[in-house]
Amino acid sequence: MKRILIVLTFGLMSVAAMAQIPSVNIEDHKGDAFNTSSLLEEKTPMIISFWSTICKPCIRELDAINDVLPDWLDEADFRVVAVSTDDSRFTTKARSLAEGHGWYDFINLYDTNQEFMRAMSVSVTPQVFVVDGDGKIVYSHTGYVPGNEEELIEVIKNLK
Amino acid sequence: MKSVLRSIVPAVIAGMAASVAAHAASDDNGKAAKGYLKGSFETNTTWYHDDARTNASVPEERWGSNNYMKLDYYRGKFSAGMQVEAYEPALVGYPSELEKIGLTNLYVGWKDENFGITAGSFYDQFGSGLLFRTWEDRALGLNNALFGARFTYNYNDIVSFKALWGMPRFGMEYSDTQVKGADISFALSNLAGWNDVYLAIEGSALDRYEHPSIDLEESGALPNNFGWSGRLNLETSGFFFKGEYVDAGNKYYNNPFIQTSSDPAYLGKKGNAQLIEAGYNGHGLGLNVTARRLEWMDSKIMTGNTSTSNMLNYVPAMCTQYTYLLTTLHPYTSRTGDLSGRFVNSGEIGGQVDVFYNFRRGTVLGGKRGTRLHANFSTYYTLAEEGTAKAGNMLYRDLSVDLEKQWTKEFKMTLLYSMQEYNPSYGANKSTYLSNIVVADLLYKFTSKFSTRLELQYLATHEDQKDWMAALLEINFAPYWSIYGSDMINHGDTGTHYYNIGVSYARSRTRFSLAYGRYKAGYICSGGVCRAIPAYTGANFTITTSF
Repeated sequence: MKRILIVLTFGLMSVAAMAQIPSVNIEDHKGDAFNTSSLLEEKTPMIISFWSTICKPCIRELDAINDVLPDWLDEADFRVVAVSTDDSRFTTKARSLAEGHGWYDFINLYDTNQEFMRAMSVSVTPQVFVVDGDGKIVYSHTGYVPGNEEELIEVIKNLK
Repeated sequence: MKSVLRSIVPAVIAGMAASVAAHAASDDNGKAAKGYLKGSFETNTTWYHDDARTNASVPEERWGSNNYMKLDYYRGKFSAGMQVEAYEPALVGYPSELEKIGLTNLYVGWKDENFGITAGSFYDQFGSGLLFRTWEDRALGLNNALFGARFTYNYNDIVSFKALWGMPRFGMEYSDTQVKGADISFALSNLAGWNDVYLAIEGSALDRYEHPSIDLEESGALPNNFGWSGRLNLETSGFFFKGEYVDAGNKYYNNPFIQTSSDPAYLGKKGNAQLIEAGYNGHGLGLNVTARRLEWMDSKIMTGNTSTSNMLNYVPAMCTQYTYLLTTLHPYTSRTGDLSGRFVNSGEIGGQVDVFYNFRRGTVLGGKRGTRLHANFSTYYTLAEEGTAKAGNMLYRDLSVDLEKQWTKEFKMTLLYSMQEYNPSYGANKSTYLSNIVVADLLYKFTSKFSTRLELQYLATHEDQKDWMAALLEINFAPYWSIYGSDMINHGDTGTHYYNIGVSYARSRTRFSLAYGRYKAGYICSGGVCRAIPAYTGANFTITTSF
């Protein structure tokens, strides 16, 4: 069994290309179905941040991005996608928190059974990604300390 | 049921290999997208030592180590993946059925715009999960993935349908219990072409099969138990309403009233639940109200097994889940029906109100940089009489307010006040413990890379162990390093210090952390579900990485 697993793993790795965004059905801000592959239709870069209502550093990171967003958008064209990983218990709370924190310029999505989170191999939050206009993940970071957000805009500005 | 996995695994692996080969071939024609691999690895390892002060728990090996490796491969419409877990042995307080190393999850899937099919291990839920949910929560040691098959179908954003069958995972194996279910959602507003209103009606049906033990059979249990739920979702111009009714079928609880050998070992009860969520989000205001009634809603994978990971539905505590040290001493866990001794409580009834408000920049309260306010009120009671909505004894009540203010570019302050009242007898009698907790969380950014965060906390109470205080200092060097030290003291009674120091390093998608400290016996809660942990003292090392 172990041998089969090892062969399979290396077999898959050998045909693997740069990580992209898997297609998963989650929910938009209204509760309507949202397929994550539709994020790629608009060919602009994205910051994708996974957060939850009980993850304080996640909320600090999104607030920090929200505070500087008008300045950043003067420097580059991109979108911010905030993916709440709260389950059904706190989905309504997450929607209210997004409103109460003024995250009006984000694309707010709700991954209520953590399917998108698993598909993106996110095991701890905060986890942030920068995705280029072709849908390729070019940067990612686990955890947040104040100041980490500066790296995001630098990565986006360096994209072609 | 390991034999099931053993016999199916080679078939699934062969299927995965064949599919990859087939897609690789189509790639040569330049049509299909190139595949990519995603994966993650996590280790959570603790070394324990004796601590007479807290009577700390020390396992025989002095070590505990939980390890997870997950791999997923995506190629166009095809995906496949697996998870290997190793408990060498499991950390103290984790369910004992998590042991040794095993290939625990394995799946292949295919999905296009409308159809999807999964074979192997998968997670799913119907509605809010009150009727059925399978999920993974590593903090709880929970993974009840189904091993079987699932089919999904969407029609033009109007109809979403799924049907599934499988055996839920328990510990390192898949149980003998079988679950069959279907869920359907009609988005009526999309059918009618309404732009400003989202209206959907939804329903689920679930059949659970468990071969009954002789005791269960003699208590009147049938092998199959049927449950269903109906739901309504409405959203218009920021207003929303969600309603859910669940009939969970028959539940069997240990009979505490046995007097003669002819009395049944289990008592059959009718599980049911009602959930309403309503509110408004707009103009910087987020307001939501939740009301929920539960009666005999404990859905187990295996009847009679008392493990905390033995669950097949999701009945979380609907109240604020705190993260500050002193606010988490007595977390609430929802009551899904108690039958013990002479105490009978068929469930709980209660609700919560949440308000988030953003005082915009430039307003009197908003100041130059805005102010954020959040308040929550939660209250839950036992059911005074079975089959009614009459409130009995208070189980839990919490009123909290927190205010977040960015004073200057460098300085941000969060203040929290929480008044918590809980029932130490879980509703068996009326008496409750009341505590008042205040927290100040102060963040100061010296430079764009260097910041500190200080937490000061105080808990005042006349009951139990009396007053507590706590402090935490965190020093951050962006983007990689963070160090912290904290102490929590029960100065009102025992005088015990619960100290903790730690350091973490995060680079790209890898994070290392090392911590040493003394931990209090209590609860680890995640997603509103809690598991009890014993007191321990020791050093903990974690690595999480993914690609």
